[in-house]
Amino acid sequence: MSDKNTLIIDKPNTEINVSTEIKKSVIEENYKLKLALNTLLIKSKSLLLAGVGLFVFGGFWSLLSYYTKDALPGPIPTLTVLKEMLSDPFYDYGPNDKGIGLQLFNSIKTVLMGFLLGSLIAIPVGILMGASTICKQLFYPIVQLLKPVSPLAWFPIGLVVFKDTGMATIFIVFITSLWSTLINTSFGVASIPQDHKNVAKAFGFSKMRYLTKILVPYSLPHIITGLRLSISVAWLVIVAGEMLSGGAGIGFFVWDSWNALSLEKVISAIIIIGIVGLLFDRLFTFIENKVAYKA
Amino acid sequence: MSYLEIKDLEISFPTPKGKYIAVRDINLSIKKGEIISIIGHSGCGKSTIMNAIGGMLTPTGGSVELDNKKIKGPGPDRGIVFQNYSLLPWMTVEQNIFQAVDAVMDCSKKEKHEIVEKNLKMVNLFEHKDKLPGQLSGGMKQRVAIARAFAINPGVLLLDEPFGALDALTKGTMQLEVLKLWNLNHRDKTIVMITHDIEEALFLSDRIVVLNNGPASTIREIVEVHLPRPRNKIEIVKMPEYIELRDKLLHLLTDKFSIEDMDMVYEK
Repeated sequence: MSDKNTLIIDKPNTEINVSTEIKKSVIEENYKLKLALNTLLIKSKSLLLAGVGLFVFGGFWSLLSYYTKDALPGPIPTLTVLKEMLSDPFYDYGPNDKGIGLQLFNSIKTVLMGFLLGSLIAIPVGILMGASTICKQLFYPIVQLLKPVSPLAWFPIGLVVFKDTGMATIFIVFITSLWSTLINTSFGVASIPQDHKNVAKAFGFSKMRYLTKILVPYSLPHIITGLRLSISVAWLVIVAGEMLSGGAGIGFFVWDSWNALSLEKVISAIIIIGIVGLLFDRLFTFIENKVAYKA
Repeated sequence: MSYLEIKDLEISFPTPKGKYIAVRDINLSIKKGEIISIIGHSGCGKSTIMNAIGGMLTPTGGSVELDNKKIKGPGPDRGIVFQNYSLLPWMTVEQNIFQAVDAVMDCSKKEKHEIVEKNLKMVNLFEHKDKLPGQLSGGMKQRVAIARAFAINPGVLLLDEPFGALDALTKGTMQLEVLKLWNLNHRDKTIVMITHDIEEALFLSDRIVVLNNGPASTIREIVEVHLPRPRNKIEIVKMPEYIELRDKLLHLLTDKFSIEDMDMVYEK
């Protein structure tokens, strides 16, 4: 009897369960599909708009080219030259004729070296400035005085000290990389909330533990923002720096192409410089998002 | 024999306009295992007294002694639960507690991890140990903060408005949670708590210290609570002694009780 009873009761129950589960999964699938479609729509829309923007830009460029009677090359001849340049980027026919890839590599190397050295100085000094009022009073006037100076003004000083144009170029990138990192780091460190300091105080954190577990993690997003700003400016400066120093790099390439009256190459180089700058920025934005935390 | 002794405590801060006295003439002896509430209006110096016990502030007059030793700074003998949890947002729940244990305790890494695990289990958060504070609710954050304070096994637990930011339901559970931990430790942990909630003070404490309004606030009265333990939230509110104490505290803390009282003030 009891067996029969349970059977009767059990059967409809399981049926209901199965059907609701199926319904649920169908609804979920539908929802996921809709979500995916929606993001695709938004993405394709923004891509389309970016395309329209580029097209309009290209239109103006063509007009300007037409107006100057082709003294300024239009988009199509420029892109042809760019394609040619990119087809063999690493050729090396002596000191005055190198492929765009080699020139770019040279510039990136210089920027990274100057940037790395600058950051190695700027981050610790920034931490000191943020953590101690004395250090701030000591260094801040110097920072304020030197920050507005165009980094190119340092080129002669680099030449005198290092007696080498390559080193002098690294030197100006180094100077450029200091300020944003320095100011952002010191701001980050100075803005550590009292709450976090109280934790360190109440639980008797050592100096080292405070540094590694509170100070650095708290200010890291600020530091990375500083680094991002620094490398953007460094990338701006390298072109001008290499025009001055000559010999190698994308800046030299631009100047050399201008002297050879190949404006197609100049514009192609501009496009490449823009793309590399964008990639640097993206890289640091990515790191920024990685180290960000939710309060 | 008192365990925590506050003698003639005065704390003042220098300001451009001269000395600002936050609290003065504070005298209080606390026995081991007692639960003391400090109650008073905002800005009456509750937190100042708490910070003096915690060693975060140096008294400008008088002294605070723990176990006959003058308190000179923060130490592992006092665990603090801050008003706004004060968890480090870039660390997991487990790391938040571990860093405190690692800084304070003198034992092997393995033992330290065991202490963290034990305390997380005590507040029922072990399964959330890998979450970041930003992923937790207010009540859970407060439990982490309490577990962190308990983990360093202090003699005195200082709670600075620990449940102020919680909703009424969570608050009730958290109060029980604290009492549970206190019982688990055989009631030998001394608890000093700041609150502005009369019911909370009555439910938890052995004595309630009522402060005068600041600046230069002093102790207005110390009210003894003899309600039997363990206390039941629903039952104690019906006890005559509870009602009497609550009215007394209300009178000590308020001087206007109805809109009419307010109106009379305006007419003057």
